[in-house]
Order: sequence, then C-alpha cells, then structure tokens
Amino acid sequence: MILRFDKVSYRYPGMAAWAIHDLDLAIHPDESVLVAGASGSGKSTLCRASIGLVPHFHRGELTGRVLLGGLDTRQHPVYQLFRYASLVFQNPDAQLFNHTVEAELAYGLESLGLSPSDIEERLTWVEKLLGLESLIRRLPHTLSGGEKQRVALAAVLALRPRILLLDEPFTHLDPEGAEQLRSTLRLIRSEGIAFIIVEHRLHEIITDVDRLIVLHQGEMKIDGSPRQVLSGDISTYGLNLPPLVRIFRALGWEKTPFSVQEALREMDANHLSPQIVLNFQEQNSIVAGPAPSAYRPVVEAEDLWFHYKDRPVLCGVDLKLGQGECVALIGRNGAGKTTLAKHFNGLLRPNRGSLKVFGLDTRKTSASKLARHVGFAWQNPNDQLFRTTVREEVLTGPRVLQAYDPAWCNRLFERLGLGPLLDRSPFSLSEGQKKRVSFAAALASQPGLIIFDEPTAGQDDPFRRELAQLIHELQREGRTVVLVTHDLEFAARHASRWLLLAEGHMIADGPPDALMANPTAMAKAGLRPTQRFQLIQTLKEKTKE
Amino acid sequence: MIGSSLDPRSKLIVLLAATCVLMTFHRWFELAIALGILLIVTLLLHLGLAWLGLLKGLGFAAFTFFIVAGLAFDLATAVLAALRLLSIGTAFFLFFQTTSPEALSNALIKTGAPYPFVFVLTVSMQFVHVLMRRVISIRDAQRARGIPVEGGLRALRYFPALAGPLLIQAFQLADELAEAMEARGFGAPGRRFRYEPNLRLLDWAIMIGSIAAALTVIFI
Repeated sequence: MILRFDKVSYRYPGMAAWAIHDLDLAIHPDESVLVAGASGSGKSTLCRASIGLVPHFHRGELTGRVLLGGLDTRQHPVYQLFRYASLVFQNPDAQLFNHTVEAELAYGLESLGLSPSDIEERLTWVEKLLGLESLIRRLPHTLSGGEKQRVALAAVLALRPRILLLDEPFTHLDPEGAEQLRSTLRLIRSEGIAFIIVEHRLHEIITDVDRLIVLHQGEMKIDGSPRQVLSGDISTYGLNLPPLVRIFRALGWEKTPFSVQEALREMDANHLSPQIVLNFQEQNSIVAGPAPSAYRPVVEAEDLWFHYKDRPVLCGVDLKLGQGECVALIGRNGAGKTTLAKHFNGLLRPNRGSLKVFGLDTRKTSASKLARHVGFAWQNPNDQLFRTTVREEVLTGPRVLQAYDPAWCNRLFERLGLGPLLDRSPFSLSEGQKKRVSFAAALASQPGLIIFDEPTAGQDDPFRRELAQLIHELQREGRTVVLVTHDLEFAARHASRWLLLAEGHMIADGPPDALMANPTAMAKAGLRPTQRFQLIQTLKEKTKE
Repeated sequence: MIGSSLDPRSKLIVLLAATCVLMTFHRWFELAIALGILLIVTLLLHLGLAWLGLLKGLGFAAFTFFIVAGLAFDLATAVLAALRLLSIGTAFFLFFQTTSPEALSNALIKTGAPYPFVFVLTVSMQFVHVLMRRVISIRDAQRARGIPVEGGLRALRYFPALAGPLLIQAFQLADELAEAMEARGFGAPGRRFRYEPNLRLLDWAIMIGSIAAALTVIFI
C-alpha cells in the first residue's frame, strides 16, 4: 500500500466546515484511481493531504492519519514526502518557476540531492518518455497551455514518485492535448507508477482507470470499479456522466457503456431497440437556429485578417451570425477562436477586411460603445472582480455605459441565483458563484450578443445544466450566443451551428451533425465526433439496413 | 547563453567595478567613451536589437533625468546624468543578457547567500511575464464591459478595476507558486546543483584586472 487515509478529517484555517471528513482510503501500487465529485466536494484537498501540503503548508486542523510510503505525513515535512508522491496542480503557470524547461525538470532532482550524473540520467529518461526534446531549451512562459502541462507533469515525473496525483489536468486542454495526456498516463502506468486523477469530465479518462471514488461534501460516498459506481444511484453527486452512460440512464437502461462499441454490444445483447435511442435523440435535439426568413444578421465579417506582430492569427475569415442563434467557435488551442471573439466587441480590430456588429463598423466604433451591444463572459471571472459587493460588481458596467435598467438587473440576479449573495464580497465566493457573477456582469447592459469563453471548463454538472438553461432563455429573448469551447459534447447539445477554425482559417460552418460527419474538416481542426453522434450515426445506419 | 562561459561571480565583480568607475566620471566625454565601449561590446555579442528594445524604457528614463537635471542645475549636469544612466543601464543589460537566472542564483548561493532568498529573487523575475499576461487579460475583461481603464483622467477613477484584480491574482499566484515549490522539495537539506559554478584562472584574472582598473581610475 502506497497511500492510506485513516479516518482523516481536515478543515482550512478559519473555516467551520470540514473540507474532507472521516475519510478512509487505501491506494495500492500500480492502481489508477479517478476521484470525482461536484465543485467543493474536497477533491483538491484530498490531493494536498496525500502529499503533506495539508497540514504543513495550509495549516488548519487535521484529525486522523495519512500514511504515505509508510510515513505519517503529519510527522514528516513535505521535503521528505515529495519523493514518494507528486502532484500536478491545476494552474500550470504557477508551477513552472524556472528560467528554462530543462531547469524546471532538474529542480526537483536537485532537491532530492542527486548527483549531476544521476540528474542527467533522469532528465534523459523523462525527456524521452514525454517527448520533450524540442522544448528543453524553451522558456516556460513561451509554451502553449498543453506544452506547459506536459512540462509540469515531466517535472514531477522525473522524481520517479510511487504515486502521481493530477488535479483536473484536462480542464484547459483541447481534444488533441487530452488524447496526448491519456497516452502519457498509460505510459506512466506502464512504468509501475500509481496515479490518482481528479476530474470533472469523467469520459476523458474513465476507460483508463481501475477505480472510481465519488466525494460529496468532503465525504467518500462510493468507491469501486467505474462500472460498479456508475451503475449505482449517483444522481445527487453532481457528476458529469460519460455521454453514453447519460443516454442509457435517461432511457432507464442499467448498463454503463464507455464506448460506442460497448453501447452497441449492450443494446444487441439486451435486445434494446435502436429506434428508442433515435427517438430520444430527436426529442432532445438542440433548439434550431432562426428560420432563414427570420434571419437577421448581427455580426457580418468579410475577409477578416488579423496578426499579432508577424504571426497571422485570422486569415480571411468570412461569417455571419444571426439574431437568436447559438453558435460555437471550435478548434485547437491557438486556432484563433478567442482572437475572433475579441473582434466582436472591438477589443481587437482587423488588420484587413471588414466587421460589422449590429451594423457598427468595429474599426470605427470604440470598445465601450460596442460593450452596450456585446457582453463577454470570460473564462477566468477573477479578471474582472474589484468591487466590494456582488451588486456593485454587476452594476458597474451598466452604470458606466449609462445602460442601467433596475428591473432587468433584478431579473438577472434572480435568474442567476445571486439574490442571497448581493451584499457579499465577490472575492469570498466559490469559483462557480464567481462565474455566475461574471455572467451577470456580462448581461447587465442587456447586450444583443453574448460571448461565453470556455464556460464549462472545470465546472460540475449542476453548473452545466444552469448554463444550458440560461443559453436557451437568452436565445428565446432573441439574443445571439457565441460559445468559445473545447467541450464538444456541450457544444453539440446546445449550439445550433459550429464554426470550425484551424490555424486562423474558417474551415467549416454548419450544424454540428453536418460538421461531425465531415471527417476532413474535423481532422483539420484536430477534433473527433462526439460519442453521442457516433452512436446515433451507427444506429441510423443499422436501422436503414 | 551568450558570454555564459564566464562564472557569474566574475561577471558580477566586473559589473560592480564598472558601476563604480562610471559613478566617478565627471566629464561628459569620459562617459561618452565608456558608453561607446559598452555599445561595441553589445554589438560584438550580437545584442544590438535587444539593446534597442531596452532603449525604449532606458531612453525615456535618461531623457527624464536630462530634463529634471537641466531644470534643477545646468546643461552640463543634465548631459552627465543622462549619459551616466545610459552607461550603467547598458552595463547591467550586458550582465543580465549573458547570465541566466539559474547561473546567477547558483553563484550567489556559492558565495554564501541564503538559498530561499536567492531562489525567491530569481523566481520573481520569471513571474514578470506571467503577470504581464494577467494585466492584458484584466484590461480586456474591464474594457469588454465598458470600464475605461486606458488613458485619460476617467481611467484614473477606474484604476482599482485594473489594480484590484491584478493585486489579488499576484497574491494568489505567489501562494500557488510557494505551494508548487514546496511540493518539489523547496528548502530540502542537502540540495545539490546540476551545474556547480567554478572559478577558473580566467575568472580570477578578470576579477583581479577589473578591481585593479577600478581602483586605478578612482584613485589616480
């Protein structure tokens, strides 16, 4: 046994509630464990307690006992424990603190007191294992998000820990990056290293783990094989179920398919009718975009070009967005999605071509004027919080823009569940609550176009449901919604149209199903069709036969 | 890195000696010659473009010095102040361009400086880039909701919209960073370094030479 929790409870300094409570857990060498649960369920605290950061770094009150490699973490400082267990944190920026990638990888090895020759040997091993040869001389701040994560993983893997912990590693990755991380984790397992992975998006890793643990309000509710756990009653724990499991559950079928092949096998074996799934899909299909006759363009871009210094980011983009549409901008990290979205509200202006938003030429209209028409809900809500209360935070924008409508704002507070939080400091809120405040701030001036930048990243199922409802309400009010996202399952369910971007080019534009049926465009954008789509397509073909 | 064959300690001694010498010059042509020599070294090290980048900030500071000294004293003092700032700035530029933060921190530790102090100092240099990116994100987030954070007197009123989130994120980043460092053995006793700096004959010669030159200029 490499890691053991004996009746462990912990609360952060000054907090009344336990972050984890009465936790018993044993992790064996070679095990791969997925820890799931809603936001605030204690997942990150479990990671920190596993490597001694709780209580040594965070202080607070710890009861019970955590044994790592046989050492009681309370009795041993973190620098004695880090050779047994390593943690990859959520924010890659905050864990790359050396001047070069090479120095980053060597840092922990120097802490271990290894000789220079041993350090070289470990560096060569980890560079090869994770394919970092081309990055080794780079400065960490010049790396992409996916590259930073690989380096952060390599930096702890070089220590050859007996157990590796990863805290929401898929959050900022595009589908290709996620696939690369899965391959890396398989390699790590083949090296005999156990891992614990904390993740909201279960489908990203569920097929690569032997065990699934569900935490809820700091307590361990279920522990077992992924199939055992997912076939039980887990509806109250706020989990993002794998998409095919979600379909089967909605239809009242007990099986837990993780892949399309499994789903088909289960359906055949249990004589489940494909037509039921197809009917279900039909009933749950997304709200269609506006009818062609009612199409009123709110965004019109023609031959849009933009470059940062000498690097082209948008290359001749043409597009139209209609009133009441929900459109998803999709592509790899660095494909130009956020850059394009920033053109809609005048934060960036095209180097060439034209862009009109609600008839206003963005090259000649100030960002503050466009802010009345375009709301932008950012991925990181902390970028905008500066007021002392939630109410002030939300109302600052409309007051500056002289667009304050008390009735609308009150409705907004109610709709986003902010009523009880209005007099609280926005800084004291949970990340999910902060996100709702940022949505309210973006909508407070009653914009006709609202852009959500990676709205589901790191969010649990209850939040995703609320967001879906909000999007549909906004559409019903005739507002246009743009989702900038890697979350294809969410985009396929809630956007009536996808715009695929690859290296600054708009390579495809159409309904999600039509684009997912276009393998060339999908491959060019580094995407794969969703499991739901694959299942439906296969069933449609089967029923035709 | 260019010029990294020398031990950072010997380069540090050269830098200190050069700074002392530049501080003692009181005639404009002495400073002009010194600046000329530094610029030739800059060009020989292929750092001309990088120096031009530095000049955006350093040139502005030198110009401000020139104006302030000109108004407070006279033209000669203003020229001296501007030239001195440019020369010393260029000397420091050459040092940091040819010395990586790791090499510098290893060398400082070798001279007996406490490891936590040295490491935190070098790490803070890395985080300038991260914080610069945060500034851009915060500025965009505020502009997107119409808050004027750029230019004009109105922006002054909304300065907290920029400074508040930045300050909080800087603290948060520092906290996360400290945690990540702790998790990789920061402060572990018996730490060894991949590259142990070693003073060679050339380093000693350069150190003795620059100290002797500085003493000669200062006292003779």
